[in-house]
Amino acid sequence: MNLLAIETATDLVGAAFVADPARPGHPAAAVQSEPGGRRHAEALAPAVEAVCARTGHTVRDVDVVAVDNGPGLFTGLRVGVATAKAFGQALGIGVVAVSSLDVLAAAALERWEGTRPVTVVAVVDARRGEVFTAAYRDGGAGDADPADLVVAPTDRFDPAALVAGVERLAAEVAGGPVVVVGDGAARYRDLLDGIAGVVPDLLDGEGALVAPPPDVLAALARARLARGEQPAPAATVVPDYRREADARINWVERRPPER
Amino acid sequence: MPGVDVQRVLGIETSCDETAAAVVDGGTTIVSSVVSSQVDLHARYGGVVPELAGRAHVELLTPVLADALAAAGSDASGRGIDAVAVTYGPGLMGSLLVGVAEAKALSMAWGVPFVGVNHLEAHLFASLLEQPDLGWPLVVLLVSGGHTLLVEVTAPGTYRLLGGTIDDAAGEAFDKVARFLGLGYPGGPAIDRVAEDGDPAAFAFPRSLLGKGYDFSFSGLKTAVVNEVRKHPEARTEDVAASFRRAVVDVLVSKARAAAADVGARAICLAGGVAANSLLRSEIVAACEADGIGAFVPSRALCTDNAAMVAAAGWWRLANSGASPLTLGADPNLELVPTHSPDLS
Ligand SMILES: [Zn+2]
Repeated sequence: MNLLAIETATDLVGAAFVADPARPGHPAAAVQSEPGGRRHAEALAPAVEAVCARTGHTVRDVDVVAVDNGPGLFTGLRVGVATAKAFGQALGIGVVAVSSLDVLAAAALERWEGTRPVTVVAVVDARRGEVFTAAYRDGGAGDADPADLVVAPTDRFDPAALVAGVERLAAEVAGGPVVVVGDGAARYRDLLDGIAGVVPDLLDGEGALVAPPPDVLAALARARLARGEQPAPAATVVPDYRREADARINWVERRPPER
Repeated sequence: MPGVDVQRVLGIETSCDETAAAVVDGGTTIVSSVVSSQVDLHARYGGVVPELAGRAHVELLTPVLADALAAAGSDASGRGIDAVAVTYGPGLMGSLLVGVAEAKALSMAWGVPFVGVNHLEAHLFASLLEQPDLGWPLVVLLVSGGHTLLVEVTAPGTYRLLGGTIDDAAGEAFDKVARFLGLGYPGGPAIDRVAEDGDPAAFAFPRSLLGKGYDFSFSGLKTAVVNEVRKHPEARTEDVAASFRRAVVDVLVSKARAAAADVGARAICLAGGVAANSLLRSEIVAACEADGIGAFVPSRALCTDNAAMVAAAGWWRLANSGASPLTLGADPNLELVPTHSPDLS
């Protein structure tokens, strides 16, 4: 089953293709991403085309689409979800929507594979002084989906509440590190750095985990399909905004006269 | 860039608060056209809320597209569709992106060309859908919630911008005054309705920039309405609405008429949502009759935002300047290029 993964929940725009089975003379998987710049609408379609081509395929060979449906950047999510829905509709295939925080957690758990127990706090920048976050703890029972390891479900916080939550998690942990990842953690790194037990070492340099990696999104979606999760029909997939729409228009309010 | 000859084009429009898809044959024949208006969603705010619009487009585009394809005898596989055209600007960024992403994905999935269309150019093509043999040159008065433009069109795709608004768009003025008068949203139809029972001479509202070139200004008029009503709280809403509508239409018609005489236009053509205004429609027809030139007033469905005009403009763009690259983004401030020829794209 050929899977195309679409990642646009943060500044990073990316796609991954996992061919199953691989075409002779081509790699089984390809990933392409462009960090920063918020060029979601510009960069996504070329990235999709590139990862398909590198594995010897075209978009028409895709059997299932995985998309990061947030939480994250509203405009980015709309580009990714609209693209995934269009592929789903036009190709008559299903869509697997995956949480950005679950993807970040899966990537962090992979990096910390040799260390258990480990607690992961995935933090996506919600802008306007807030973050979207969820916490996961892997005690080492085996290959687990981040969704099964949640110790603090997805919510929206201000940075002070994030720090309080991370401190509480760190205090609870018996001997394992608390790994904070995501662009929200990077943004508020100064606040998180000094907390005992907290490891923010995946937030910069080579291999930084600030954006959900498209290849991890693809792997997580494949694992969920293998466990029996059914892809959703394209029409039902929507971004997970986790914030009410800012219902303001830029006009000066004028009270109608008493009449 | 080489032209691309295609027959059937799917158009997609998501620049503001209408989610629309349409199939047009040969650039002129509407095969299907579906518009899902979000008016009810925005009505309580008295205007279009960008974030709400963007969210609604994501949800509405799948069913709207399915309906437009089915009505054209096709289906989600894109059978019989030769190209995909989409509005990529101007408009609301968060809304434009949805259509652009969708259009690119469809073109990749169906293996057909993709072309980005300027929303303003699409409005200019709307009239060709009902009257393919319009004579040139034409003066188009494009009036909507976001735009007020006078454009000389010398041939399809070749135009010269004569004037525009220096502050509020005409439709915006209707919305703001309707909101002030407590008439609801959208303002154009609301004011049109009550104005029918009012006296257009009850108030002498200003006709800004009248006789001074082809630019427009409606902000002063709106302020005058507010001041007048505060001064005369007993004034009938019908009279205020009628006098206001009269002032807007006077300016629009007078400038369009002068522009037509200036460039030797064979006809004046209306476009945009405000072109659905009944007084504007009747006045432009009367003015053109008096001046011995043609008047073209498209049906209301083609005046307001729709995807058929996008497909028509896309068909022309494909034939004249070829497909757009997959790297095309959305441009909320896209302008009508003064003289648009294939070389300039
Ligand atoms: Zn328009």
